[in-house]
Amino acid sequence: MRASTVAARLATAALVAWFGMPFVPLVVWAFADRWTWPSTLPQQWGLRGWASIGQDAMLPALARSAVLGALVAAVATPLGALAGRALGWRLAAHPGPPTLLLLAPVALPPFAIAMGVDSVLLRARIPGTLALVLVLAVFALPYTTAVFRSAYTGLDPELEHQARMLGASARQAFGRATLPALLPAAGAAVALAFLVGWSDYIVTVVVGGGQYVTAPVLVASAASGPGNEPTVAAYALLTILPLLAAIAAVAGLTSTRRGRVRREGEPA
Amino acid sequence: MTRGAPGRDDSAARGAVLLAPAMLLTAVALGTALVSLGLTSTGLMPVTGAPRASLAGFTADSTDLLLGVREALLIAVPATALAVVVGVVTAVLVVGSRRGARWLGPAAAAVLPVPHLVGAAAVGLLLSDSGLGARVLHVAPGSWPALVGGPLPVATVLEFAWKESAFVGIVVVAAVSRQVAVLGDTASLLGAGGLRRLRHVTLPLMAPAAAAAGVIVFLYTAGAYEVAWLLGRAYPEPLPVLAYRLFTSIDLTAHPEAAAAALVSIAVALGSAGTVLPLLHRLGAAR
Repeated sequence: MRASTVAARLATAALVAWFGMPFVPLVVWAFADRWTWPSTLPQQWGLRGWASIGQDAMLPALARSAVLGALVAAVATPLGALAGRALGWRLAAHPGPPTLLLLAPVALPPFAIAMGVDSVLLRARIPGTLALVLVLAVFALPYTTAVFRSAYTGLDPELEHQARMLGASARQAFGRATLPALLPAAGAAVALAFLVGWSDYIVTVVVGGGQYVTAPVLVASAASGPGNEPTVAAYALLTILPLLAAIAAVAGLTSTRRGRVRREGEPA
Repeated sequence: MTRGAPGRDDSAARGAVLLAPAMLLTAVALGTALVSLGLTSTGLMPVTGAPRASLAGFTADSTDLLLGVREALLIAVPATALAVVVGVVTAVLVVGSRRGARWLGPAAAAVLPVPHLVGAAAVGLLLSDSGLGARVLHVAPGSWPALVGGPLPVATVLEFAWKESAFVGIVVVAAVSRQVAVLGDTASLLGAGGLRRLRHVTLPLMAPAAAAAGVIVFLYTAGAYEVAWLLGRAYPEPLPVLAYRLFTSIDLTAHPEAAAAALVSIAVALGSAGTVLPLLHRLGAAR
């Protein structure tokens, strides 16, 4: 075997370990009932960490995270689609300022924006949950806009023009000519915006004023106290497992579809 | 240029209408936040009592503010460097080898959706003095280095590097995989060996995407709260942790200081972005 192949294999193994390592203590601790130092592995395995899920309202918190993610996606996806159309098809007279403004949230610290908005909310009596969704949507917009912008850049606007010339209404032209080609981008945009809502901690705590208890908020309260390792691990796993399952499902679907296309189309 | 044929003004007007909702929401949220932080930090928007202009928010604990900047940079600079290096190596292996694509692609994809808070909890369980690392290596809690909550933000940096290296890797792979395949094949047809292909084809192709991803990682890690809060030491705190502690303080007079810390954090972010973006533009990463 050539030296470069051996090096590539070693590097691949090291990087798989790098990416996988932090998952290991989660899995071990989630099933450790008793694990005192210096034992390398738990002395007693069990489900103690999972027992507190019912008492501590982790399931409602997961549902709240899902609702928050869905609402953020519901706001940021259509807005990103409209902006992406304007930027991707160069419909704006001066694309510089809108591009810069819509990218700005990537550069700005979320905690700072949340703190600034929160001081005004109290005075303006705007409901915290609405503000929470809108602020998180602002942080999701750079991603949804970028995804749609790049999708529109790869699409020829002439298709819609031709559909219009053949008598289609604007809505029909968009629905028949453009929308089908946009669906993968729309899926990616929804996923990214959902993740912004699902993963957030600091904006939820600041703008939600501690009233909106999501899964990350419960993980944080468990992790900040000592001696809760099994609970922390169980909560952390519950927060990421739905996402990993979704990714695996999407990857499985795509590879089946690709396989089918390959079988039906040209030989691989 | 048939696209705007009926009239450029017409298409520009349509563009403005399409951009308006996203721009309006962003401008209102960011504008409200900046004005409110500006007024709060200068005493013009007190929680109670009459407004009184003062720079006390910035000067009362200016040492803490400066330490906050230092701590934030002490986290963001090494975390970004590590994330970019590990991310680019990941991308090289994913793009360049079947084994890399098969194992590393999914490994990085699994890290991407993990919330930073969950990552921080996991890294805490791995690296604290009673963590998995100490147990596996049989190091007594007293002799284990203070990776969590110690004088150097080791655990915080490693959490950011872990999560963000997956981000850099995936962004770079998405940006270059097709070009690398085509140009790499051409280069090897012309007789270039593996290392020369890497140096003259793969890495130069990856540089713009890696640099752009690196800027995003830097800005994110300099302004993120939860990882440093969970894994960092109590004092001195990086700006986000300092700002939020002051913001939630029972002492309402701490509010101007909290807003000042938030504004300094924003200034650091905008200053870094302003410095780096022109360089990125020259690299061609704007694409």
